[in-house]
Amino acid sequence: MKQIATLAALLIAFACVVRADTPLAEVKTTTEKVLLLLKDSKLQGEEKKSERRQLVRAEMEKRFAWEESARACLGRHWIKRTPAEKAEFVKIFSEFLKDTYSDKVATYYGDLDKVDYQGEKIQADYASVKLVLKTKAKIDHPLEYRMEKTSNDWKVYDVVIEGVSMVKNYRDQFDAIIAKSSYDGLIKEIKAKQPNP
Amino acid sequence: MKNQRFEFFVGLFMALGILCLAFLSIRIARNELFAANGYEVEAVFTNCNGLRNGSAIMIAGVEIGRVKEITLQDYEARVILKLQPDVALQKDAIASIRTKGLIGEKYIEITPGAADQIIPHGGTLHGTEPAMDLEGLISKFVQGNLSTNPAPNK
Repeated sequence: MKQIATLAALLIAFACVVRADTPLAEVKTTTEKVLLLLKDSKLQGEEKKSERRQLVRAEMEKRFAWEESARACLGRHWIKRTPAEKAEFVKIFSEFLKDTYSDKVATYYGDLDKVDYQGEKIQADYASVKLVLKTKAKIDHPLEYRMEKTSNDWKVYDVVIEGVSMVKNYRDQFDAIIAKSSYDGLIKEIKAKQPNP
Repeated sequence: MKNQRFEFFVGLFMALGILCLAFLSIRIARNELFAANGYEVEAVFTNCNGLRNGSAIMIAGVEIGRVKEITLQDYEARVILKLQPDVALQKDAIASIRTKGLIGEKYIEITPGAADQIIPHGGTLHGTEPAMDLEGLISKFVQGNLSTNPAPNK
């Protein structure tokens, strides 16, 4: 009886180790799930748009390191903020990202013919996963997910589309807005961009 | 006696000339004969088209180092950056390959990050942006792009 218990414990432990997937496998799982959602016949049509979007958002939510992303996008200005301001920024900015990216994902993946997984590259706690989105119009869009290892899995902190980094793009824009107005001005502008506050 | 003195000055003049020439060629080739101190950081770009050994590395338009070496690694460009010792780079800093002016030479622009960890000597800069492939983008634009097509996601 004791032996069986030990065996079971070992098996569970082994299963836990296996659960920690490679970055590529994690990206693949999320991508396939999102693609299934977008193709789901029950979720088609204009009236189901918000429901579909919510589901895509929920899948994305699990795969992203929101705080990392928000901090990286704010760049040098992050250091000057108080802990409360930092928490607020992470919240507002991740909402904004979720909205813009779930829309973008729906647009890009809706026109998709095939996803070509090019492979992964792991370097200590960092990884990059490359894919090519092949559209029905026979155009290739290279995409790269930059990921960081957290305690139990890999999370995306930057997306590079056609060689343009999302973090770098926002870092430059936020820098310009803060230089022109102020940090509060930036918060106001991000809040104004939110489609459904 | 007078002749000997004359020859000595000619020799001195020649030696000076050769020294100047050597100095100039070292300067032009940007060779670090008297190894400038600093530290090295590695960055991998998918494309570093136009970048050369000795290309400038800048933050906010201020030069903080130069490209030391470019090699091919796994079909990507591995670039060694030699940076001034007093400039610290955060783990989430981003290096992008940019062009001076419209058709000028390429350089690496670094946008500093906010992470607590600093990249040590021999460390890796993970955030990189490759050189913009203008021809590729134009050809995509000519063929039509996703964002210009109406998305069939009804």
